[in-house]
Amino acid sequence: MDSTIYQFIALDLPPLLAALFSAIACAILGSYLVLRRQSLLGDAISHSVLPGIVVAFLVTGSRSTIPIFIGAAVAGICSAFLIEVVRKFGNVDESAAMGVIFSTFFALGILTMEQAAARNVDLDPDCLLHGQLETIFWYPPNDWATFFSWSTLGSVPAEVYASAIAAFLVIGFVVVLWKELLISSFDPALCHALGFRSDLIHHTLMVLLACAVVASFKTVGSILVIALLVCPAATARLCTDRLGVHLILSVVFACVACSTGYITAAFGPQWLGYEQSVNVAGMIAVMSGVLLGGAACFAPRYGIVARRRTGRR
Amino acid sequence: MLTSLIAVIFSLITTVAAPLAASAETPLRVVTTTGMITDTVREIAGDRVSLTGLMGAGVDPHLFKATRSDIAHLSSADIVFYNGLLLEGKLIDALGRMKSAGKAVHPLGEQIERSALRELDGFPGQFDPHIWMDPQAWEKIVPVIAQALAATDPTGASSYHSTAIQYQEKLRELDRYALRVLSSVPPESRVLITAHDAFGYFGRRYGYTVRGIQGLSTESEAGVNDIERLVDEIVSRSIKAVFVESTVPSRSITALIEGAQARGHSVTIGGQLFSDAMGANGTYEGTYLGMIDHNVTTIARSLGGNAPADGMSGKLAGAH
Repeated sequence: MDSTIYQFIALDLPPLLAALFSAIACAILGSYLVLRRQSLLGDAISHSVLPGIVVAFLVTGSRSTIPIFIGAAVAGICSAFLIEVVRKFGNVDESAAMGVIFSTFFALGILTMEQAAARNVDLDPDCLLHGQLETIFWYPPNDWATFFSWSTLGSVPAEVYASAIAAFLVIGFVVVLWKELLISSFDPALCHALGFRSDLIHHTLMVLLACAVVASFKTVGSILVIALLVCPAATARLCTDRLGVHLILSVVFACVACSTGYITAAFGPQWLGYEQSVNVAGMIAVMSGVLLGGAACFAPRYGIVARRRTGRR
Repeated sequence: MLTSLIAVIFSLITTVAAPLAASAETPLRVVTTTGMITDTVREIAGDRVSLTGLMGAGVDPHLFKATRSDIAHLSSADIVFYNGLLLEGKLIDALGRMKSAGKAVHPLGEQIERSALRELDGFPGQFDPHIWMDPQAWEKIVPVIAQALAATDPTGASSYHSTAIQYQEKLRELDRYALRVLSSVPPESRVLITAHDAFGYFGRRYGYTVRGIQGLSTESEAGVNDIERLVDEIVSRSIKAVFVESTVPSRSITALIEGAQARGHSVTIGGQLFSDAMGANGTYEGTYLGMIDHNVTTIARSLGGNAPADGMSGKLAGAH
């Protein structure tokens, strides 16, 4: 196998796949969040996982992935439910409820860490929970004859499988509950009148979101998860008013941002003569922002140019 | 459309990947993480190997994130040396994966004898990674490096072992100098107050009480109580100086100084110490010997001991 192709398959293909699968999961869930005006929930969950990590470490005394993941996911789910409780019984709007819960959870995490652990132990969520795209490489067989075999498939990094599972779960969820999600997102009252449990659908969405977000943290890191939840969905929102098209567009935008961002970050600096690559997750987030900017200007109906032309403001 | 796009991407990658591609003629490729390890390997291997250090001056190894080019360096290396003991927090998974793929990956801190390490209070089995702060402990990684180099490059074995012995002698000389000047500080003043807990090994070796304002993790903030306790200690033991670190912000140190001043005791900033990274490349402080020399000399002079302003061998630049 040619060494360039081998290097591409070993170092670049797994992070690209992991990023693309995470992007698909995040873009679909993000679309519903943007439509339900809960865009910041991903950020809220990313702060809320801290107490879960600390407690998981204290209970098991280890830094291994599975207890940390479970702790983080439980804390994330709890925070999603509590946000709902505060919104309902505190009579405040969603963003205020998120602000209250995620800052409380984060503070709780800091306090537990201070009291119990960090005096002596380096317990950094950035190291424990947040993965990094660049480090998802593998050592596949070095010739095509043995490349296509089951053992190769088994040596694919776990992060790629984790993000693929998250993507398929999310797609399955949306396909099965398409109608229910549609009604409960746009008209909860109608949904209730028709006899669907809109609160149940909402809670399922929240649990799925917490799991997908925490799984993506381990794979692609926290910056990228938050960027991918909000940016592609917001970009799609500027381009269409139809839910189906919205979901497809947001997935397309997320995938474009991932591929262009990865290539620019990994190889761009070398084309300009610099030796060091730059952070891939950061560059993908920048690309998502660029796409959003482009849509804000040139989207067919809601873009600045189109609005000027039709005389609307 | 898609195929032409893939073709373009591939040709662009080829231009980048070509210099990294392997060839049989090149010398042993060694990749290291922290500057301290890079410098030590350079002392032992000299020009026999092509050496790449990933972390430059002022980089916090706890927070270091590898980029695509760092990973390419690591994956094309013949030998990788890193500190281990969870110092390179964000690289551990990647390095572990390389190790299980059969690459020569050496966590130096985990390959020296356990008795040289400092176990963390209350967390058995977890060790303080900041080994380089004690030259006597650091010396133990030298034969490990020489052994690993010799195993991969047997023709250079005798050269590696003889330079290793020479370098060990230099480290012992540094340790003797440190013992001498640090014990010239009056015993009641042997307290080292810094921003975070990087100096545990230093304190153990030279009999200093070490107080970090933050914990081991740079994530946690100093609490009001901690500052209060430290101010008490500064005033009651009339400590002359506290220290700032090159990789940690100095805000909480300033709070200490103001707190002591409010109680009528004047304490100064004794100087900047190198904790998790060395000085600039190409300077004396940018070598391991220079870094420790700087720290030891600065600490001894600020706390009331006797040490030459230009350090152990007259090479320190920024001495006062």
